[in-house]
Amino acid sequence: MLVAALVAVPVAGASEKHPTLSELEGDVMCPVCGTTLDQSNSPAAEQIKRLIARRIAAGDTRTEIENTLVAEYGDAILAAPRKKGFGLLAWWLPIAGIVTAAVVVGAGAWRWSRAHEPELPDPGLDRALERRLDDELARFD
Amino acid sequence: MARSARLTAQAIAVAVVVGLLALLVWRVAHDGNKGISQALASGGHPSAPTFDLARLDGHGRFDLASLLGKRPIVLDFWASWCVPCIHESKRLEAARRVYGDRVSFLGVDTKDFSGDARRWQRTHGITYPSVHDGNGAVLAKWGGTPIPRIFFVDRRGKVVAELEAEEDLPRYLRLIAAS
Repeated sequence: MLVAALVAVPVAGASEKHPTLSELEGDVMCPVCGTTLDQSNSPAAEQIKRLIARRIAAGDTRTEIENTLVAEYGDAILAAPRKKGFGLLAWWLPIAGIVTAAVVVGAGAWRWSRAHEPELPDPGLDRALERRLDDELARFD
Repeated sequence: MARSARLTAQAIAVAVVVGLLALLVWRVAHDGNKGISQALASGGHPSAPTFDLARLDGHGRFDLASLLGKRPIVLDFWASWCVPCIHESKRLEAARRVYGDRVSFLGVDTKDFSGDARRWQRTHGITYPSVHDGNGAVLAKWGGTPIPRIFFVDRRGKVVAELEAEEDLPRYLRLIAAS
């Protein structure tokens, strides 16, 4: 896992500095088809692919290309919300929801299991047995 | 205490479910809304929704409200990736030479890259002004894709027609010019 993380960091850095068209095609929406660019051959999608290819050739980073697209088409052009500002909510809210739900379900299950724990009946001793036990003990005194 | 906490939690859960349900209903109801286009198709003449967008030529912004109620308007939704838009915009450019003194012609470049859009205008000799509706929010209010969509707004600011057949262009132009 550590090795995977160490490998992933330089790859992510390369993707930021030198993005490829195929990477970005999966992260950018076609504004008229409701799919990502890699799923569409519509004229609008082809136009954006050409724009991205031009910006890559000009040496733009992934962030610069995304900024250009957002400035032209708005935030909805990105397939996933950005991991900053208001967009962070979209990333953290589901996680917070899952954690909260897990806590609620766990607490509920714990309370339920405690409430339904079978209580062992106190057998006690009937009076005759108690008297006999006292007699037996008295004999040892 | 435990009882009131449980009741509060239940109330919150119910409120969340009701809220999500309301959101779903709202979304479904608005999905089928084709805006002005749908209102026209049902025989209505709705008031033109206003918008305030950046001009494509980079010279500030344009507010449609500044024209409404003063001059008839032809509103052309187009994009540089839209092949049929070339033909329709050229027809509007020709019509502008005839009606330009009585009718305002305005393009709305939608879901498009503004650099490509400006190049497209130069290439095809389109000279009437356009605004940039990058995310398509204005187009959505008027009817959404597909484009081109061409609307005719009379002098009172009412949308009277949408172009459907080529031969309708001179008829609708005469109609709004006389309004």
